[in-house]
Amino acid sequence: MISREEVQNLATLARLQLSDAEIKNLQKDMSSILDYIGQLASVQFDKSLTPPIPALRNVLRADEPRPADDALVGKEEAVRAAFPNREGDYNVVRKIIQKDE
Amino acid sequence: MKLNQLTIAEASKKLQAGEITAVDLARACLDEIKKRDQDIHAYIEVFDDVEDQARAADALRQAQGKNAHPLLGIPLAIKDNILIEGRHASAASKILENYVASYDATVIKKLKGAGTVFIGRVNMDEFATGSTTESSCYGATKNPVDEARVPGGSSGGSAAAVAAHMCLGALGTDTGGSIREPAAFCGIVGLKPTYGAVSRSGLVAMGSSLDQAGPLTRSVEDAEIIFDAIRGQDPLDATTIADNVYPKPTPKKKIGVPCTLLQQGVEVDVMQKFEASLQQFKTKGFEIVDVEIPSAALALAIYYVIMPAELSSNLARYDGVRYGLALKGKDLFEDYAKSRGAGFGDEVRRRIMLGTYVLSAGYYDAYYGKAIAARAALAGEFAQALEKVDVIATPTTPTPATKIGEKTDPLSMYLLDIFTVSANITGNPALSVPMGFVAREGKQLPVGLQLTSAHGDEAALFSIGKEVEK
Repeated sequence: MISREEVQNLATLARLQLSDAEIKNLQKDMSSILDYIGQLASVQFDKSLTPPIPALRNVLRADEPRPADDALVGKEEAVRAAFPNREGDYNVVRKIIQKDE
Repeated sequence: MKLNQLTIAEASKKLQAGEITAVDLARACLDEIKKRDQDIHAYIEVFDDVEDQARAADALRQAQGKNAHPLLGIPLAIKDNILIEGRHASAASKILENYVASYDATVIKKLKGAGTVFIGRVNMDEFATGSTTESSCYGATKNPVDEARVPGGSSGGSAAAVAAHMCLGALGTDTGGSIREPAAFCGIVGLKPTYGAVSRSGLVAMGSSLDQAGPLTRSVEDAEIIFDAIRGQDPLDATTIADNVYPKPTPKKKIGVPCTLLQQGVEVDVMQKFEASLQQFKTKGFEIVDVEIPSAALALAIYYVIMPAELSSNLARYDGVRYGLALKGKDLFEDYAKSRGAGFGDEVRRRIMLGTYVLSAGYYDAYYGKAIAARAALAGEFAQALEKVDVIATPTTPTPATKIGEKTDPLSMYLLDIFTVSANITGNPALSVPMGFVAREGKQLPVGLQLTSAHGDEAALFSIGKEVEK
């Protein structure tokens, strides 16, 4: 059974706050799911196999402005409208650098 | 016959002939919604401008005449994780409850270009994490065929809306079976395109190497019409492909069945329906070939490593900083933890935790590393099998629709997708088409036949799928 500490550490990594009851349930659920997916551990796979085409290819676009009918052109105001704490064109966020660094 | 019971192909002909208008079609759907959606609860929101959209479509038809797209004026329902600019998109979550889409998904842009009418956004499992639509933050959707049962998931609202004639077709998304499984449970058609065939730009991402948007419809022909409209290479999604990337296989009139895989786990009467379908194929001149896909038995395990890993990464963006629910704590960590804690439901949290685990140092190679190797092996086995046959056939699901509230253990719910996940892992296209009914407690419940073909070979799915319909 996955330990309480391990679940708590994962929650910290995932920026989730879990109640005691949740931690207990997750220990149970995760253990059973991890047992199931753990089937993979004992199987040998040919590491030389590559997935089928399309093979990795260069899909970088030219460094040009997007065409005017591009879905993302002109949407800056809509993006700003979604800010939880907006001031003019800025998104007000918490200060995270506390000292002179 | 009521107008909302027409297929898209039939409605399109009548629209073109001037026998009906888009407004007539829209009103028929809206009337049905008024009658049934109180009970079914497929729609999260019915848009308030549906008739305006329909009038615009009718006006456009006047201008376009014979050049009108087959989808002009056709009313579709859109899954709540597909962005339509200016409208809410919440992926059935609390964390995005008030989010208004700032741009159109590419699939929406293409449908708008065709003149499609959007009836509303339909229900789904929260962030697509489910196979029953029970995890939606807006309440469960009921299966129109038997309201005590689930419509499947995560595109349960899409499937229910189509099955109950509350639209003529719908868009869903499929990461592990989320179009095909609900299509099977509700007795309709569902297509997961080849990975890369349809753009994921503007879809709320779940598993970026697994997701595809696709149609849920009442006929294979209708699925083909929608697929043709939404497919295409897209500069906004670097994983999309051109039409000529995969060679077109020549039809062999052979159907592959992975007999070993089907020996256990499928309910007896579902297997009987499946075998009856195979018999039907034989009478139509198809040869049934036994194919071996040894890694298919591990497909669900592979999926439940890769998908939670990708989901946990994709959902990291919901932090209450740029959009969505933003709760404040005593410090930055608490801002994140509170927003995400309140904003995410149980199943989402469970999968984020799983994903974080398999990607964390010390476990990465054992789980994720293995899953990636297994993925390549599975893809190779499918490719090998599909050199000999046109499609691989299985039942879409091992059972018909389960009862609401029945699947309380997560793993037992995951097992509903046991036959559907392979196509997402490998990128192959797959179609679910109705193959009859099985009886459960006096009700006739639909079951689906799943066909999987080679990359880029949706043509085989449509052609053979239409044979099943005949």
